[in-house]
Amino acid sequence: MRPKVVITGMGVVSALGVGAEANVAALMNGISGIREARYLPTEHREFPVGEVPVSNEELLQTLRLPSGRLYSRTHLLGVAALRESLAQAKLLDYKGLALISGTTVGGMDVTEHLYPEPLPMGMPDVHDCGASTNDIADCCGDFDFTSTVSTACSSAMNALIMGKLLIESGERDVVVAGGSEALSLFHLNGFKSLMILDRERCRPFDQNRAGLNLGEGAAYLVLESEESALQRGVKILAVLSGVGNACDAHHQTASSEDGEGAYLAMTQAIADAGVSPSDIGYVNAHGTGTPNNDASESTALRRMFGEKLPPVSSTKSYTGHTTSASGSIEAVFCLLAMRNGFLPYQSEYQNLDEQCVVPVSGKECPRADLRHVMCNAFGFGGNDSSIILSRYE
Amino acid sequence: MNRVYVTAIVKDVPAEEYSRYIPPMKARRMGKLQKRALVTALKAMEVSGIGEPDAILNGTAMGCMENTVQMLNGLAAEGEAMNMPTCFMQSTHNTVASMIAIYTKNHGYNTTYSHRTVSFELALQDAFLRLRTGRLRTALVCANDELTELQLQYPTFFGQLEVRDRSEAWMLSVEPGEHPIYEIENVRVIHQKGMEDRAEIIKITL
Repeated sequence: MRPKVVITGMGVVSALGVGAEANVAALMNGISGIREARYLPTEHREFPVGEVPVSNEELLQTLRLPSGRLYSRTHLLGVAALRESLAQAKLLDYKGLALISGTTVGGMDVTEHLYPEPLPMGMPDVHDCGASTNDIADCCGDFDFTSTVSTACSSAMNALIMGKLLIESGERDVVVAGGSEALSLFHLNGFKSLMILDRERCRPFDQNRAGLNLGEGAAYLVLESEESALQRGVKILAVLSGVGNACDAHHQTASSEDGEGAYLAMTQAIADAGVSPSDIGYVNAHGTGTPNNDASESTALRRMFGEKLPPVSSTKSYTGHTTSASGSIEAVFCLLAMRNGFLPYQSEYQNLDEQCVVPVSGKECPRADLRHVMCNAFGFGGNDSSIILSRYE
Repeated sequence: MNRVYVTAIVKDVPAEEYSRYIPPMKARRMGKLQKRALVTALKAMEVSGIGEPDAILNGTAMGCMENTVQMLNGLAAEGEAMNMPTCFMQSTHNTVASMIAIYTKNHGYNTTYSHRTVSFELALQDAFLRLRTGRLRTALVCANDELTELQLQYPTFFGQLEVRDRSEAWMLSVEPGEHPIYEIENVRVIHQKGMEDRAEIIKITL
């Protein structure tokens, strides 16, 4: 028997605010966090972003981190989310923790600011992905295992998938997994070069959708074997019941027309969870707002669920596309939807697109009793992943 | 529990052999690291006789540096007027693992670890656990890093991390095949604050 992998803590930072309660309040009230950049020093004011509404200086202060060293924003956002998750799971003083974190940008905000000058002598490494993960871990607790997944926009979700494997194979009792990614000029101008940034708030699945808004944030989930959680006497929030990862193997940045990778990932996740498609009460779609992603994902969803499509929405209209962190940020949103009994809704959705699924919309937050929810995260290179979160009963 | 064997290890295929594995027309459109990574992976598939592994994993300390540096140079020279779609597309760390999958039309498990000097071992640990627990039967595990002119000239430009210029591809299988190189008993990765992360591949000699 594989041990059941439960969730005992969560922490999240996004354009909706710092902490789970700020995020759930915005989601339930239909208030988007996408607006003009305040802290990212970009000239491209025409592209709104999903920026965390706190400066680096404020983060340093509230997190009580020592001054006199370089901090990347990915590091700071990560510490805020990781500490919240550890506190909820009562693990702040635990010895021998494991962290798997997803990121692509890592400390790029620091590098691009200094470039073309090298890092100042004697400063710790902050550029690479692994450095940001280790920095996040070492500011939060006693970790004897750290790892960084970098599969572009599915990084954090693939971190969750690896965390589940470490617990199921008996290697670990507790693994904290998720991701952190800050806005950077590198990323913004990269997406601008691909011509997939919307000048308005993104409109996932809408016929007039014109691209994504770049976002930032961090989120971590404490994964734990059921036995360990019961032994420690901590509250079990939900079960990470199913995971799936497949490669679209189609194109470096575009999704295939038939959504094969997404379809395979969702199929695996449902099989792994031991449920049937009709058990799924809500799908948090990848739904970036680009014409290509939303059409391809809609095709995959229709292949997966047939006529009985569960309620679907994309919360990227609230946070922007938080890229490497999106998988764990949106997993936390799913946990909050289950906890508070509601469906995240796209209050600004307007125009039906025959090619796309019709997302949950309207002006009122719909109530729902959710037992199983699906969360998708797809990345460049066709790195498609999907997970199922289930009520603990 | 399955036993896990390494059935092929291929390192840094020399450029003279490239045309055996990829048509020159296609190779011309690829960057230096991409070419070497792809050819090394294809040769590991050939040597092991496993052309369609159940998974493709890659470990890379710094990702695709050539493209990353070009993007940074673009930002430094032109500011935010820069426009480099191809560079950006190929600058993400997962470019190599997904490129191998796209080239071989492989829909299997696909992931990339980017965690300093233990990136490859983390990919190996992931594959090893999936094979041992029966989730997969074969897996291609790669290590790929490139050193750009900038890094050769200023070794600490992006920090103190020591990066090896290399492409490696290991084929793992639950079947020993005819010529297994060794069996993997476990892969351990250790983090300790203030020290570089360490890894150990525990092997059983056959």
